[in-house]
Amino acid sequence: MTTQDEKLIARDRMRYIKNTQSANLCYLGILFNVLYFVNIYKSDVGTYYYNVLIGVSIVYNLLFLLAAFLASESVKSYVKNYSYALFFLGIMQFVRILIIPMRAHGATTIVNNETVKVMGNGQFFTCVIYLVISGLALLAAGYINLKKSNELTAHLKEIGEVA
Amino acid sequence: MAELSLQHIDKIYDNNVQAVFDFNLDVKDGELIVLVGPSGCGKSTTLRMVAGLEDISNGKLLLDGKDITNAPAKDRDMAMVFQSYALYGHMTIYENMAFSLTLRKENPNVIHKKVLAAAEVLGLTSQLNKKPAQLSGGQRQRVAMGRSIVRNPKVFLFDEPLSNLDAKLRGATRREILLLHKRLQATMMYVTHDQTEALTLADRIVCMSMGHVQQVGTPLELYDSPNNIFVASFIGLPPMNFFDVRVDGDKLSGNGFQVSLNDEEKYTLAAYQGREIVLGTRPENIVIGKDVPAVVTMNENLGMNTLVHGNINGDPSVKVTAKIKGWTDYKNSDNVSFEFTRKHFFDKETTNAIRGGQL
Repeated sequence: MTTQDEKLIARDRMRYIKNTQSANLCYLGILFNVLYFVNIYKSDVGTYYYNVLIGVSIVYNLLFLLAAFLASESVKSYVKNYSYALFFLGIMQFVRILIIPMRAHGATTIVNNETVKVMGNGQFFTCVIYLVISGLALLAAGYINLKKSNELTAHLKEIGEVA
Repeated sequence: MAELSLQHIDKIYDNNVQAVFDFNLDVKDGELIVLVGPSGCGKSTTLRMVAGLEDISNGKLLLDGKDITNAPAKDRDMAMVFQSYALYGHMTIYENMAFSLTLRKENPNVIHKKVLAAAEVLGLTSQLNKKPAQLSGGQRQRVAMGRSIVRNPKVFLFDEPLSNLDAKLRGATRREILLLHKRLQATMMYVTHDQTEALTLADRIVCMSMGHVQQVGTPLELYDSPNNIFVASFIGLPPMNFFDVRVDGDKLSGNGFQVSLNDEEKYTLAAYQGREIVLGTRPENIVIGKDVPAVVTMNENLGMNTLVHGNINGDPSVKVTAKIKGWTDYKNSDNVSFEFTRKHFFDKETTNAIRGGQL
């Protein structure tokens, strides 16, 4: 079998094999998002987080989980549009670094008449790493799915299965 | 492909129940052997011993001359198709067919080619992305066969694969198996209790009863020259009629009827003069004549033929079924006379066929 044949067969396999690579990357993105979310409010000191942001972050987190899960199922079937959804979710993970961790890092609040730090370096870097890994996994999932779905569409056109 | 040899095989379970007695069979390369018999006769046990799913208590199993009696199932290079399909419901048809090769870590591209080739042979190409629950029983059974084909095993084993299908689908799938065998030229062992399947599929049939092999032969041999009363009654539908008769010179005298013997039959029964034997005749070997008077008890029109059931001389203990060509319209209690165009003779004590050879 030549390399050309191998490539052709590999493309043809996509007709029957699910895109588990992208789906697994989505799951990885979800996992690290969950790790981030259970870590971020560890530093609940005083009343620092008691504002509208806490509600927004919880609602966004729920929407994120739903969207990422739907995307993970859809990329299994090489649905191209979900790649764009994954790009959005991935980029949003980087944006989220700026919203809570960056603001909380180094911020202080008064507890029992004492000034305490809201988020130390350790927790800050942990949260950032979780969000970066989650974001990269989602971007990679979207990229791989986009590439594969384009290849599959071209292959199906070539063999006459779609117009 | 492969030659299989079963030599003096017994199966004795831990509770000392013996299911198979001294089973001997040589399966030739590319041959389709059908094991047939009633439920509990040991046919599935024999097949499971060949597959390695049951231990062989005594005897030897050789595959291409190599002793595989104690080899584990995975090392026997045989594929088995079960009655219950045994498909994974959460996998697609493609994944089901590719599963065994994936476990073996074969090259995915090679797996792909094999699965597509098998799907093409079985007409499953358009179903590959579906789940088993979306397919009909016949299609699922084809998937089960496809899963075997992709492995390219030395021997295919089928354990009543059509039993879950309705009559129409069974006929269609049976023809597919036959075509598959012709195409693959593979060595196959097939277990069924349905004699129609046995007669239509087999190169040779092994007829079993109570763990014993009753006869091994081609379908025609079993139909035309059964070894004993069991084989004669099991093969053929409707089953053969049996009558207790006495050999009186050139006649057979039964309970209220007499049939004459031709020279060849007289020669065959020469050693049985004056003795009681069992006369067998198939319903399709009975025509309307004058030898055997009977009272009709039922008339079943089948279209091309009619099954006429009756009691000989009106005696309810001596029943007869005749398969008469064409459409007849006998009423209950009508008198009719039959003639036997072909007769089979069995020793009353041993139940073995009486064969005297030709004149």
